[in-house]
Amino acid sequence: MRPLALSVLYLFAAMGLHAATFYITAAGLGGEPDYDKRFQMWSADIDKTLRSTEPGANVTTLSGAEATRAKLEAALADVAKQARPEDAFVLMLIGHGTFDGEEYKFNIPGPDISATQLANCLRGIRAERQLVVDMSSASGAAQQALAQKNRIVITATQSGNERNATLFARFWIQALHDPGADADKSGGVSALEAFRYASQKTAEFYETEKRIATEHAVLDDTAQGKGVRNPSPENGEGMLAASFPLLPLGAETTTQANTPAKRKLLARKEQLESAIDRLKYQKSAIPEDEYKKQIGALLLELARTQAELDR
Amino acid sequence: MNQTSMLVATGLLASLASFAQTPDDCQAFRHHGKQDQARQCFTGLSRSTNPAIAAEGYWGLDDYQQANTLFRTAAGRDKASAAIRVRWGMLFLERFNPQEAANLFQEALLIDRNNADAYLGLAKTAAEGFENKAEEFAKKAIQLNPKLVAAQEFLAYLALEDNNVPRASEQAEKALQISPEALDALSVLATIDWMADKTNSPWADRIWKINPSYGQAYSTAGHFFVINRRYREGIQFYRKALQLEPNLWEARSQLGANLMRLGDYTAARQELEKAYAAGYRNAQTVNSLRLLDSYKNYETFRSGDAVLRLQKKESALLKLYFQPELERDIAYYERKYQMKLKEPVQLEVYPDHEDFAVRTMGLPGLGALGATFDTVVAMDSPSARPPGEFHWATTLRHEMSHVFVLTATDDRVPRWFAEGLAVHEETVASPDWGDRMTPDVIAALQQKKLLPLLDLDKGFVRPSYPDQVVVSYFEAGKICDYISHKWGDAALLGMIHSFANHKNTTEAIQENLHLQPAAFDQMFLTWIDGQTKNTVQHFDEWKKRAKGLPALAKQQRYDDVIREGTAIRDWYPDYVEENSVYEMLADAYLAKGDKKDAISQLERYRDIGGRNPATLKKLAQAEQQAGNAVAAIDTLSRLNYIYPEDGDLHKRLGDLLIAAGKTDTSIREYKAVLAWQPVDPANSHYELARALNTAHRAGEARDEVLQALELAPNYKPAQQLLLQLTK
Repeated sequence: MRPLALSVLYLFAAMGLHAATFYITAAGLGGEPDYDKRFQMWSADIDKTLRSTEPGANVTTLSGAEATRAKLEAALADVAKQARPEDAFVLMLIGHGTFDGEEYKFNIPGPDISATQLANCLRGIRAERQLVVDMSSASGAAQQALAQKNRIVITATQSGNERNATLFARFWIQALHDPGADADKSGGVSALEAFRYASQKTAEFYETEKRIATEHAVLDDTAQGKGVRNPSPENGEGMLAASFPLLPLGAETTTQANTPAKRKLLARKEQLESAIDRLKYQKSAIPEDEYKKQIGALLLELARTQAELDR
Repeated sequence: MNQTSMLVATGLLASLASFAQTPDDCQAFRHHGKQDQARQCFTGLSRSTNPAIAAEGYWGLDDYQQANTLFRTAAGRDKASAAIRVRWGMLFLERFNPQEAANLFQEALLIDRNNADAYLGLAKTAAEGFENKAEEFAKKAIQLNPKLVAAQEFLAYLALEDNNVPRASEQAEKALQISPEALDALSVLATIDWMADKTNSPWADRIWKINPSYGQAYSTAGHFFVINRRYREGIQFYRKALQLEPNLWEARSQLGANLMRLGDYTAARQELEKAYAAGYRNAQTVNSLRLLDSYKNYETFRSGDAVLRLQKKESALLKLYFQPELERDIAYYERKYQMKLKEPVQLEVYPDHEDFAVRTMGLPGLGALGATFDTVVAMDSPSARPPGEFHWATTLRHEMSHVFVLTATDDRVPRWFAEGLAVHEETVASPDWGDRMTPDVIAALQQKKLLPLLDLDKGFVRPSYPDQVVVSYFEAGKICDYISHKWGDAALLGMIHSFANHKNTTEAIQENLHLQPAAFDQMFLTWIDGQTKNTVQHFDEWKKRAKGLPALAKQQRYDDVIREGTAIRDWYPDYVEENSVYEMLADAYLAKGDKKDAISQLERYRDIGGRNPATLKKLAQAEQQAGNAVAAIDTLSRLNYIYPEDGDLHKRLGDLLIAAGKTDTSIREYKAVLAWQPVDPANSHYELARALNTAHRAGEARDEVLQALELAPNYKPAQQLLLQLTK
C-alpha cells in the first residue's frame, strides 16, 4: 500500500498548510443509563482526542440532550457553509440505529434522523474528501443512502439485520489512541488503518468471549453503496480510505527540505519509496530469493537516506 | 439383537392366520443364517394387507421408510395396540432416533402398563445414552415376562459394559436356560473369553453351529474391546464381523470410526462412506465424515516422537507451545514409567469442540476435554472454550498418561486406575494444574457417596447421579495420590506392571499394597477424610458467608470484606471461580491502597489454580509495578498454559523477558505475537528482530526487520536496527 501511504504523507502535509478538517461527532440515545453513559463517554473521548491532537480544529460534538436532529442538521449546515472543496469532513455517529426493512434511522432525542435525511444534509458540504463513520446497530442499512463519490462510508454492521448494540465504536476510539493502529508507521492513522484496527479488535472480542459476532463492519469508498469487510486492491475498496488522515501527522515525519542537499535526499527518498512500491506489487512474479535481495537493498538504501535526512 | 418370539409375546400372530409364514418364522431363518429364505419370507410378509405385518416385511427387507409408514398406519388403525407401538419404537431405535423410540415405548406402556417388551425398548434406549436406568428397565421387563430372552440377554450385555464379568456370565447363562439358541447371550460369553485372550471359545463354537454367518457376535466383541480402550483388537473384531456379514452396517460404521480414532483416515473414510452409501447415516457416521472433510484445514508437524495436527488458523501460535509441551510430556513419562513408546504420539487439537466431540464417545455426563486412542490424542484447543475455562497443558499431561499406561498394559487397565493415575499426574506436574475440588465433589464427600474401589469403574461408565463421573475422577485421582503418598511411586508403577500381566484390581492391590480392596477402602477413606474435612465441615457456612461478600464490596465496606473474607477464605481454599474470596480480598485491599496485600491475595489465587486471564493479567501488572518482574513473568507464563490466544499477553511477556535478559523465551513470545496476526505487524516484526539481535541471531533479526520495513518502509526504529545490523 505504499502509494497510498505516500499520498497520506502529502495529504497530511497539505492539510497542515492549506486545508482544514471539520469533525462532527454525535452520540445518540442509549435507551438505558448504561448505554447513555457509554455513548457520552465515547463521544467525549473523541472530542478530547481531536482537540488535543489538532488544536484549533473544527470540532463539534453533540451528545445527550444536545444530540437532536435539529442540532445535528444545524451543525451539518454550518460545515456546509464553511468547508471548501480542499477541506475534509468527518462525521462520526455513536449509538443505536434501527432498520424497519425500508429505512435506517439513527436514534437521537426527539425525532430520529434517517439515512436519507442525513445524506441530504451531507450533500450541501463541499469538502471533496468526506468520511462518514456510522457506528450504530443496523448501520449497514445506511450504506446505500450515504454512498457518494469521494466519500468513505464505514458502518459498524454489514446490514440492517445486525440489530444488536455494537462495540465497534469502542475499538474505533482505541485506534485513535493506540500507536499500533498506525500500521504503516507513517506517523498518522488513516481511515483505513482505523477501520482495520477496529474491525479486527471487534472480531477478537467476540472470538475471545465465545459469542456469536453480531456485527461485521464494512467500508465503501467507491460509492458502491455496499461496503466490504476486507478492503483490498482485489475488491477495489480502501484506496481512498488509505489516503484519508483521521488524525494529523506527527512532527517527526515532517521533514523540512530547506537546503539543496536535503531536497536531493528527499527526492531520492521518494524514488526509493516508489521503487519499493513497484517491487512489492511485482512480488508474486519474482522468485522469492530474488525478491528478498532486491527489497532488502532498497529498504537499506531508504534507511540510509532517512538517516542522512535526520542528521 | 435377536428378535425371535417378539411377535409371539406381543400377540400379533393372531392376525397372521391367513399367511403361511409369520414374522417369527422370518426372524428364525435370519437367526440361523438362512438369509435367502429370510428374504423370501420377509417379501411374503410385505405383501400382507395388515399394515403391521407388512411393516415387519419391509423392515426385514431394509426398506425402513415403507416400514415406518406402515407402522404409522397400523398404529392409527389400532389405537389400543401396545405391541404395534413397541415394534415401531424398535424400528426407530434401530434407525438412530432413540427419542422417538422412547416416546412410542412410553405410549405402549400407557396402553399396557405391564408390557415387558416396552420396558425392554426403554432399557435399550437408556443404554444408548449409558443411562443407569437401562438395567432397571431390563429387570422390569424380565419381572413382567421371565421368558423374555432378549431382556435377559440384554442384562448380560449391560453387566459386561460395567466390566462385571461374573454377573455378565451369570445373566447370559440365565438367557441360555430360557433359550439355548440365544445368540446374543452366547456372544457375550464368547466376548468374555476373547477379552481374556482365549482365542478358542467354546461359546463361539456354539454360535457358529446355530448360525455360521453370525457376524453380530464379532461386532458385539468389537464394541466391548473398544469401550475397554482396546481399539486395535476392536478393529480386528469388526473386520471379522464384516467378513461374515458384509452388510452389517453398524459394524462397518464402527470400524470406520475406530480406524479414524487411531489416525488411519484413508481406511476410515472408505468404511464410513460405504456405510453412508448404504443408508447407515447415524450421527456418528455423518459427523465423522464431516470431520474427515475438515481435515484439509489442518497442518501436520513432526518432530522426533511427536506428530502434531493443528488447525491452520491457529497452528503458527499453538505450535510454539504444544510442540515443546508434548515433547516434555513424552520425556517425563518415559523416565517415570521406565518405558519407550513403540510409535510416535499423534496429538490433534480441535478449535471447535463439536469436532472434538465426534471423536469422544462412550463416556456420558462430562464435557470431555481430551481423549486418547492408543497413541493418538485428541483434545480441545484453548480457543474451543471461553478463556480460563480449562488448562490445556493439564489436559495434555492427563491424556499422555493414558498413552503410556495403555501402551504399558496393552490396554488392560481398569478405567479407575487409568483415569486416577492421569488425574494424579496433573498435579504432580504443578500444584496449580489439575482440577480443584468442586461443590459437587464436596457434596459427595458430605453424603459419603464415594464408591468402593471395586465399584469405581461403574461411576465412570454408568453413573447413578448426575455428577458421579466428576466425583469418580476426583476419587480415582485421590486414590492414586494416596498410593503415591503412602507407598511411593514404585507402587503405582508396580500396579501398572500387574495390570500389564492381566491382573485385576484386587490382585493388583494385593500384589503391590499387600492389602485386600476392602481394607484399602477403609484406609483411603480415613485419609481422604483428613485431607478434606476442613472444607467438608465448613462448606455450608462458607457458602452462606461467601455470598455476602459481593454485597459488602458493592457498599464499599472494604474493612468488612477483609475481615469476613480472611475469616472464611481457608475453609474452602480451592474455590477460584467467579467472585472468589481471593479476588474480593484483593479488590478490597486495592481500594484501601494496600497493593502489597492485594498482590499477596492474587498470588494465592494463582498458586492454588485460579485461571481467570483478566485476574492473572491484573496480578502480573501489579507485580511489575511493584518492581517484581520475576513474579510478573511467572504469572504471565502460567497464563500461556491456560489461554495463549491473546496477543497482548505475549507482547507483555516478551517485553518482560527481554528486559530480564531471557532472550530465548522472549523470542518465542514475540513469535507468538506475530502468529496471532497483530493489528500492528510491522511493530511485531521489529520487536522480534530486536530480541533476535539481542540473542546474537543477526541473520534472523535482519529477516524480521526487513519484514517490518516491507510493511512500513519509513518505520524509523526498524530502519535504525537495519542499519545497525548491516554494520
